[in-house]
Amino acid sequence: MAAAGSVRAALQVAEVLETVVSCCLGPEGRQVLCTKPTGEVLLSRDGGRLLKALHLEHPIARMMVACVSSHLRKTGDGAKTFIIFLCHLLRELHAITDKEKDSFFSENIQTHGRHWKKCCQWKFISQALLTFQTQILDYVMDHYLGRHFLSIFSSSTKERPLCRSSLEMLLGAYFCGRVGRNNHNFVSQLMCEYFFKCTACESGFEEVLELVDDCFVELKVGVTGLPVSDSRIIAGLVLPRDFSVYCPADGDIRIVIVIETIQPLFSTFGSEFILNSEAQFQTSQFWITERTKAIMKYLQKQNVKLLLSTVKQPDLVIYCAGLNGISVVECLSSEELSLIQRVTGLAPFVVPQASSQYELSNTAMVKFCKPFILRSKRYVHLGLISTCSFTPHCIVLCGPVQGLVEQHEVALHGAFKMLRQLFKDLDLNYVTQAGDQNCTSSPLIYKNSRESNDLPEIVNGSIQRPYQDTVVKNKDELAKTQTYLEAYSNLVVPSVELETNILCSTPTVTLTDTYQTDATLRCFSPDKAGIMDDHEPFIESNSANSTTEYTRREISYENLQVTKNARKGSMLPVRHKSLEMCTSQSYCFSSVPAGCVLPVGGNFEILLHYYLLSYAKKCQRSEEIMVSMIIANALLGVPKILYKSKKGNYSFPQIYIRALHSLQTNQPMISNQTGLESVAGKYQLLTSVLQCLRNILTIDSVINIKRQPQEIYDQDSEEEL
Amino acid sequence: MSRLEAKKPSFCRSEPLTSERVRATLSVLKGIVTSCYGPAGRLKQLHNGLGGSVCTTSQSAALLANLPVTHPILKILTTSVQNHVSCFSDGGLFTAILCCNLVENVQRIGLTPTTVIKLNKQLLSLCTSYLKSEACGCRIPVNFSSTQILLCLVRSILTSKPACMLTTKEVDHISTLILRAFLLTIPENAQDHIILGKSIIVPLKHQRVIDSTVLPGILIEISEVQLMKILPIKKSDSFKVALFCVSLSGDLSDTGEGNVVVSYGVSLENAVLDQLLNLGRQLVSDHVDLVLCQKVIHPSLKQFLRTHHVIAVDRVGVAVMEPLSKVTGTRPIGSLDSISPSSYGSVKELCTAKFGFKHFFHLIPNETAVCSLLLCNRNDTAWDELKLTCQTALHALQLTIKEPCVLLGGGCTETHLAAYIRHKTRSEPEGILRDDGCTQTELQLIAEAFCSALESLAGSLEHDGGEILTDGKYGHFWSVQADSPSVVNWPDLLSRCGCGLYSSQEELSWSFLRSARLPFVPQTCLPCKATDSAGNLTLDCFTAKLSGLQVAVETANLILDLSYVIEDKN
Repeated sequence: MAAAGSVRAALQVAEVLETVVSCCLGPEGRQVLCTKPTGEVLLSRDGGRLLKALHLEHPIARMMVACVSSHLRKTGDGAKTFIIFLCHLLRELHAITDKEKDSFFSENIQTHGRHWKKCCQWKFISQALLTFQTQILDYVMDHYLGRHFLSIFSSSTKERPLCRSSLEMLLGAYFCGRVGRNNHNFVSQLMCEYFFKCTACESGFEEVLELVDDCFVELKVGVTGLPVSDSRIIAGLVLPRDFSVYCPADGDIRIVIVIETIQPLFSTFGSEFILNSEAQFQTSQFWITERTKAIMKYLQKQNVKLLLSTVKQPDLVIYCAGLNGISVVECLSSEELSLIQRVTGLAPFVVPQASSQYELSNTAMVKFCKPFILRSKRYVHLGLISTCSFTPHCIVLCGPVQGLVEQHEVALHGAFKMLRQLFKDLDLNYVTQAGDQNCTSSPLIYKNSRESNDLPEIVNGSIQRPYQDTVVKNKDELAKTQTYLEAYSNLVVPSVELETNILCSTPTVTLTDTYQTDATLRCFSPDKAGIMDDHEPFIESNSANSTTEYTRREISYENLQVTKNARKGSMLPVRHKSLEMCTSQSYCFSSVPAGCVLPVGGNFEILLHYYLLSYAKKCQRSEEIMVSMIIANALLGVPKILYKSKKGNYSFPQIYIRALHSLQTNQPMISNQTGLESVAGKYQLLTSVLQCLRNILTIDSVINIKRQPQEIYDQDSEEEL
Repeated sequence: MSRLEAKKPSFCRSEPLTSERVRATLSVLKGIVTSCYGPAGRLKQLHNGLGGSVCTTSQSAALLANLPVTHPILKILTTSVQNHVSCFSDGGLFTAILCCNLVENVQRIGLTPTTVIKLNKQLLSLCTSYLKSEACGCRIPVNFSSTQILLCLVRSILTSKPACMLTTKEVDHISTLILRAFLLTIPENAQDHIILGKSIIVPLKHQRVIDSTVLPGILIEISEVQLMKILPIKKSDSFKVALFCVSLSGDLSDTGEGNVVVSYGVSLENAVLDQLLNLGRQLVSDHVDLVLCQKVIHPSLKQFLRTHHVIAVDRVGVAVMEPLSKVTGTRPIGSLDSISPSSYGSVKELCTAKFGFKHFFHLIPNETAVCSLLLCNRNDTAWDELKLTCQTALHALQLTIKEPCVLLGGGCTETHLAAYIRHKTRSEPEGILRDDGCTQTELQLIAEAFCSALESLAGSLEHDGGEILTDGKYGHFWSVQADSPSVVNWPDLLSRCGCGLYSSQEELSWSFLRSARLPFVPQTCLPCKATDSAGNLTLDCFTAKLSGLQVAVETANLILDLSYVIEDKN
């Protein structure tokens, strides 16, 4: 209930989860067997799935799982590492705060009760973590780690040709953590082969990845009862149903898609058909039959050989199709339909109203269409001719039990998601500090949501960090409606009056002096009383401290959206000018380029650990040092588990010492591992974990409600767990 | 909307295999499957205390389908065996026993799962590549010019299912029938790729097994009343057939989503009946002799057809629709109005027949790729068992056509394979280990576990307390009766090896299977004359056994790899 044990409780929970997930981590990881309430058995090494299967009750555990699943939705990888890293962070925090709580925070917390004292302490740490995440992490990534990055592309030209062997190594490492030990090589080779077979041209792989990721369910066929080694790739598309009628045809085959029954019906929805006589009934039936025949005849005249239907067609249609040599496949799902449409660009056939003579426009060609037998079950095999860069292929996944087949499916799907992430640039932005001036910055984050107030944060921040400069980073959302700067990249507008941003339907940007005193702060006040109120403690707290002088306030725009702005022209000079003026601080907007990888086996963790430690040595402020140290130490948790079973030269201490030595002497790091992993994925994982940790730290009490969940939102959160 | 209820937390157990309970349940399952194995296997009677029929069986398909298992690990094992059986019909018990043996043996060693799994996989690939190679000493190529080997294969399958309750004579009879039924499904004019026909098993319970028979064409069961109504069939060389998939009962099919309003006094029934009779007239004028309908034919239409000497048979069911349309060459008709003449088909002969108490309508087509196997057995359970066995045998024959070779049965393949692996792991361990980071000692340990799993699998063929021997030349399987004298001259006691390929007249340095033996090089490459001359071999389906081996090892690896079991109790 109480927050007193918040970190301790979280640590306990995380440790339990860690023991479960750490057994599945890395190439030495083992399988977990999950049973469903229906009695089915599932094999899994997927952290996210395991955490979900546990159906945890503990509120903190549920929150962690929710964080993990939101991370997974983004990246599709790293659930196990998430938990392990989080657990180590909590462990470090626990150890440090136990030791230092009185010495470190004493001046802040004298007047508070013990409970609130702790809360403040967590709050403080959480704030420091945020600072770390926004400045130090990106800075270290860009400046130090960047030089170690390898690329998955074989050259850095614009076409970015994919390097096959690198991709194989990347996938190999990915599947090491996802599927059983005896199968990961096979599955990763299968995936690699599949990827290259589907990619028609070198450049279109992003489109291919997107399509495969979206439609993966339709592109795989699971078969149980056969050994895994029987899995294979087949050209074309396989639909899990039999032909309703099959007429063999050679050469290129013309197909149409229908989404309604071809046979006209007596009455449509909302209409009434009045039968007055038997003769009328008979003539209507006759007309229906004749009409159906005419349509099928028309299709045959247009040389259509295959009819794909999303609905069940009446017997008469099937019969007529057979007579006209048209094969029919019925009951296509909407997903299958959309896949076929994406590949061929084919629009559904509209049944012509009058007996039509004109050419049929909505057709596509297939190379072949034939029955395909897998494990004495019949499938439809279509050789679609693609109009995009995706060449259709299917994966047949075999396995002795359904659970294993499913595991491979999930792993393959995750791998496509991971590749999709890998080929995106990852933006880094941070503030660098110039050494020559005293005015070091400690940015105050001003999260500007539409309601525009996260002000408690500002207050807290200002209490805890009484530094000379504050930078207000104006986050994206407000900016949408407001004055807007068309940005290429790094946009810094110092001394833009904040009022214009908050109020404004008619924004005016006035350039004031860079070195401004309190005047800037006052800019807030005339317009918004609420904000004014919130800022009062800010001022007070600062004045309570010895540093009363505000030398500068900067507003930087983060995440500016590229929108066309009429005022572009007038704004730009401002930007340039301001850049010239603030030379002491530079805001770097850099990025981890797409396709950046590092060797597996804790390389990223050890590198970041090393550079964070060296950063901490240079750093002067105690809380930055503390946070850097905590994170640096926690990072080692993952490689420690990875090398747990290794002995001798490959044990963790040995690897660690060797790595440190080579880093100190500027030699290249030698890795005994052959796999690669995505840097962006690791980076995103790190930020997600830090965010989750901040969530945990900022909770002061858990209120237990014993009532049936009523809102629909509750159901959603249930699903996440 | 249903009430929302919080999910109960799951139950999580670590290292499931170390628990005593799991080991006990695994060994119970192993006991059940082992005791069923082979021609001398014991039968299991499965009966549900709440009702339902009693099932007497020794087949994995029937056994595992009726045996409820609760522990997730057993569930993995049984579903994996069941999936194998549904793919290959044969080799279910083989797979189950081998998997249990492997798990048990490997656990005893206590190496880390990583090593075990890696090495098991290496040994498996050693086995599969050996079995697939030409030099394999336990594989016989099938010569399709004689039925000898195929007949042996069918007979081995029949004898290995004791719950069919067949005498030797009956086994001979049924195996010839099965082989004949299979041969009838091969189309006469073979093109590039053969599409096999179908043999339909027709049940005829409570008859003597000897009365079973195979007929070309299709048998449609009809009631005695129906039979009375069928007029004597006139003689002709060919009968025109119309096959309907649409209902001829006069029901009004889908009228759409809107309403259909019928004015007072309008009788749709009459309208539809008129339509049906028109159809009847067209059929008559097209000189159709036989009308078959998947669904129901309206009595008036039936009557109409009868008066015009057209035979009408309805309710044939969807199952026989495909073979019927194949046999007669008809296109199933889905229209009531006009029928294209190209939709009609024909049969060579039509007759009624009586087998046991049942009346059948027999369609003999011009070209036979479909046949009916009338299967008789004394009681229901024995018949069910026999039917399963026949299906297994037919499937095995189909698989043999695809992969024209068979494996030696009677335990000889297992012992031979074990001898081969022992020899390979001793003589060239480097080739097997490659760069896996495993030591030779680990390889020896795992190979021993693997081989003894194979050998105890072979040993489970013996249920009567006899001793199992193996020879030092071929590595085959020999069994001795239980109460044999202790001081023995082996050639006198032994007659032939398990598969029947070798006789004891040769001097073959026998030793007990359980005892420690020196590894030797089992003779590879079967002598040709041996396979030709041997009259009565015990054989196994190659594809099924190979896949069973792979599935068993893969499943064992899966089970050994488990570190947690999470049970969702919702």
